[in-house]
Amino acid sequence: MPVVSLVLGFLSAAPLFLAVGVNPILAYRQVLGVFVNVDGLTESFTRAIPLLLASIGLCLPFKMNFWNIGAEGQLFMGAFAATAIVFMLPDSSAFVLLGSMMIAGFIFGGIWGLIPAYLKARLETNEVLTTLMLNFVAILWVDYLVYGPWRDPEGFGFPLTPMFPLNARLPWIPGTRIHAGLIVGLVCAVLVYIFLARTRWGYELKVTGESRLAAKYAGIDYLKLTLLVMFIGGGLAGLAGMGLVSGIVLRLRHGISPGYGFSAIIIAWLARLNPLAAVPVSILFGGLLVAGDALQIGLGLAFATTSVFQALILLFVVGAEVLTRYKVALTWE
Amino acid sequence: MDVAFFVSLLAHTVQAGTPLLLGTVGEIYAERSGVLNLGVEGMMAMGALTAFATSFYTGNIGLALALAMIAAALLSLVHAFLSITMRANQIVSGLAITILGLGLSGFLGKPMIGMTALHLSSFSIPILADIPVVGPILFSQDILVYTSIFAALVLWFVLFKTRLGLNVRSVGENPAMADSLGLNVYLIRYVCVLVGGAMAGLAGAYLSLLYTPLWIEGMTAGKGWIVIALTIFATWNPLRAIFGAYLFGGVIALQFRLQAIGIGTEAPQFLLMLPYLTTIVALVLISLEAVRRRMGVPAALGLPYVRGES
Amino acid sequence: MKGIVKRFPGVDANDHVDFELQAGEAHGLLGENGAGKTTLMNVLYGILRPDEGEIYIRGEKVDIGSPREALNLGIGMVHQHFKLVEPHTVLENILLGLKEPAFILNVKDAANKVLEISKRYELPIDPEARIWQLSMGERQRVEILKALYRGAKILVLDEPTSVLTPPETRELFRFIAQMAREGRSVVFITHKLDEVMAVSDRVTVLRAGRNVDTLDREQLEKTKLASMMVGREVLFTLSKSPVVPGEPVLQLNQVTVMGDKGFPAVKNLTLAIRKGEILGVAGIAGNGQRELTEAIAGMRPILSGQVRLSGKEIHRESISRRIEDGIAYVPEDRVGVAAPQGLTVAQDLILRRYRQKPFSNGVFLNQNEIDNNAETLIKEFKIMVSGKDAPARTLSGGNLQKLILARELSGKPRLIVAVYPTRGLDVGATEYIRSLLLKQREARSAVLMVSEDLDEILSLSDRIAVMYGGEIVGTFPASEANVEEIGLMMGGSLRKT
Repeated sequence: MPVVSLVLGFLSAAPLFLAVGVNPILAYRQVLGVFVNVDGLTESFTRAIPLLLASIGLCLPFKMNFWNIGAEGQLFMGAFAATAIVFMLPDSSAFVLLGSMMIAGFIFGGIWGLIPAYLKARLETNEVLTTLMLNFVAILWVDYLVYGPWRDPEGFGFPLTPMFPLNARLPWIPGTRIHAGLIVGLVCAVLVYIFLARTRWGYELKVTGESRLAAKYAGIDYLKLTLLVMFIGGGLAGLAGMGLVSGIVLRLRHGISPGYGFSAIIIAWLARLNPLAAVPVSILFGGLLVAGDALQIGLGLAFATTSVFQALILLFVVGAEVLTRYKVALTWE
Repeated sequence: MDVAFFVSLLAHTVQAGTPLLLGTVGEIYAERSGVLNLGVEGMMAMGALTAFATSFYTGNIGLALALAMIAAALLSLVHAFLSITMRANQIVSGLAITILGLGLSGFLGKPMIGMTALHLSSFSIPILADIPVVGPILFSQDILVYTSIFAALVLWFVLFKTRLGLNVRSVGENPAMADSLGLNVYLIRYVCVLVGGAMAGLAGAYLSLLYTPLWIEGMTAGKGWIVIALTIFATWNPLRAIFGAYLFGGVIALQFRLQAIGIGTEAPQFLLMLPYLTTIVALVLISLEAVRRRMGVPAALGLPYVRGES
Repeated sequence: MKGIVKRFPGVDANDHVDFELQAGEAHGLLGENGAGKTTLMNVLYGILRPDEGEIYIRGEKVDIGSPREALNLGIGMVHQHFKLVEPHTVLENILLGLKEPAFILNVKDAANKVLEISKRYELPIDPEARIWQLSMGERQRVEILKALYRGAKILVLDEPTSVLTPPETRELFRFIAQMAREGRSVVFITHKLDEVMAVSDRVTVLRAGRNVDTLDREQLEKTKLASMMVGREVLFTLSKSPVVPGEPVLQLNQVTVMGDKGFPAVKNLTLAIRKGEILGVAGIAGNGQRELTEAIAGMRPILSGQVRLSGKEIHRESISRRIEDGIAYVPEDRVGVAAPQGLTVAQDLILRRYRQKPFSNGVFLNQNEIDNNAETLIKEFKIMVSGKDAPARTLSGGNLQKLILARELSGKPRLIVAVYPTRGLDVGATEYIRSLLLKQREARSAVLMVSEDLDEILSLSDRIAVMYGGEIVGTFPASEANVEEIGLMMGGSLRKT
């Protein structure tokens, strides 16, 4: 069923291509072409890494109905923290440096997630809005740094830091841009899956997702749970940010993430909050991103095409999900 | 800083606040009827694009505004369909619409990047516009500014003093009861969401026809999200929305004006952060009073309605 | 109504039911939970469409597609759960859904009309008051006024006395009699025998979706009605073995608890329950019982006073600590709180105990133990379910309550707080739940039971406390119970401490 809606969503973009004077068949060929050649495929994996980490991170808060729309900001904060480490310890060994970058990225992303978590748990402040607003604050904070104190003096005035030294670069598979972040992502997917399915917190998440009163009744501490889950979730998004600066872009710059945090929301939803399912979905979305580039170069379409695809797929999946829910309700009776 | 600065600041405030006010009034209606609409940003983007494109190709401003409202309303129709009839998760549906709207406006707008189109012009109310200080601010604006305030007042009246408004409020508080009394919950919600969409489209049109001289990607710059925040800040009351819209508009304007006179050019980003931080502070303040604001949040907000389930 | 059939998946709620209502009569509709009474009236009120059957109003065949159409035909209904908008005023609630005034709400005329009706039927109300400020009895008046404002000639009341004090109930009966005298008709859905006998001109009994019989006033007799309702001989008393109570398990001293409406729901309450005793808390719902039990369980903080469990002060303890201390809590809301519907039966069975060994070691859950626990409890408590992994929402009310009790009792609790434990359950489930509570008493646990069913309180309790207005207005051993006096206490007219 989800595959059907995926395909439908995909195909529904056809009339749009016609509207801008592009032959849809050409467009689809470009997109599919991404997946059938090695370069396209590996590039899809590369782009999938931040998506994977961020979306896994979202599975946790979403499970308890904590609507974390702030993955983008948490990602930026992680990228910022990792870059700060590079500035602070430029001469350390790769092992120490990369390790610290990961830890810093996780912690700062986690802290960025703790703020809305605390506000919600203590004051019932709407988390959709707080996480959202914090996105912009984080993005602007990074902007300040790359336009200002951290700007590369040899960067021709562009808002970016100097390139990272080699020891700050995550190891990669030669011939591709796939970096070690992929392994981290896959490991995290498994860890988070186990967390959800086997630990007491996974159980608490399930109960809280059903009803907060029931969770209270069960003796669950909402504050502790929210803080824990948002720290981990934000931390994983922060790791995604670290991966971006250290594995692909190799510096911090304006717009380091073109909306990965928002795409991650869609991926988590499509994966039905299952971290293992998030793996193939992330790769698919990574492919869509690559396709977006191809469409831009090959057919002169806006990069925004990717967003259109993503949104259409999501809409169809949401619609299909409702239909399956009906079927399930009927068959049970 | 002198009077001229002050005047231009206020004039800019009004202009910055108008799209916020238009969007917020619409969103108040949607949320009062119980539907959470997170797609405002996308609807505004589509409105902006449609208005610009129409003006670009036809030069007819009136048509541009109308089509902008229709385009955004169509987008909101999708959200309405998913949320009301299909009873999908309203947060996800709204986000999908936002991404779709933003994506579509970027996608369809690509050919027009950098171009300019015919604009809304301001007109001055004679005599009144000549009053020093106040004149240029209040009486020398474009039609949408006046429309936005008028709309807010009218919609306030409708919401609280007429049967239509009573129906909308009841549907948002206790849809089961409204249904049992013969109100068509689904229809009322649909209409309110469409109103919200149309207003968002109008807000977007304002942005592309007046606020920014040419078409760029990312025209809405997060204003749609601020609208959602404003709706809560105004406790779902169109009158308070006027106050809130100009407050937030003022923050945005302040940041621009300070930059224009050279303050804060080293780190303009912190000023840019102000609207977002202000929103967070406002949200915290509101939630402190949340208990006392029992009468604020529509009780059925975000919950799909199914007849027969109690 | 002739031959009404209404089918739901798995059950025929109405199986060829006939129902006849005459003008100017008060007609009682009697039956257990699930007998089909509310379903039948929902069909009449247009909320449900019958699968088969016909409805005739004053001789003409009608098709009622919605409550609005029912109202147009002069049929009004007051449901068990009021359909009122809390932040709005009484007037706004009454005017909702009407055609007049069409555009601008003309408040004065409407308010006058409301006051006129309210005076005529002696149902005092303030049109400008907001619903959340009103008591349950007053809210019911608003619901009735809503129907009368629309000129209802047939009024259906669904379990109306469940939220009323005895004096309010008498008022309601007076009102019903007045309606009947005027030539209007009232249908009175209930499962309470005394009431239906007091007020009805005729009584129709439904059982398991079918007609049993319709009796005239002269033929009414309590035991006859009861056996018609249930289909077998009903015993009104349960056998209780004598148990000597031990030292106090729970002691409440001058406890004050804040309610949801901004004022204390429980005021300076002092109470003690001993080992091996069942304390039945009687009183009309809404007099602080819920808040009291929530405070004991830890769901609600107390403003002042002491709460001691076997001598230990617990009022600051978290809920998880109280669970460890051995407090079992069976709340009023089963599906929303006690047994979340989206979880499986096995998961719900460890809801309050998942932290304890052997179910978890602090980090990981032991699925094996959880499954074993589920299977054991399902068998022991005879919970009818397709399997331990079935979602909780597939359980019927009775089985869900069995699940909740199975979980709460399996931890060998010291204190059991049960709130309306048999509400809405059929006789079979009710008897079983009651026997479970009695067994706990024999096992020397203390039981605090809040119930609206006086028969239940009288037959199960060792001691009885009556609550009114957040205070205990009477405590006495069950053997000294006097139903008259209890009724007066429940209505606030008597104190016996």
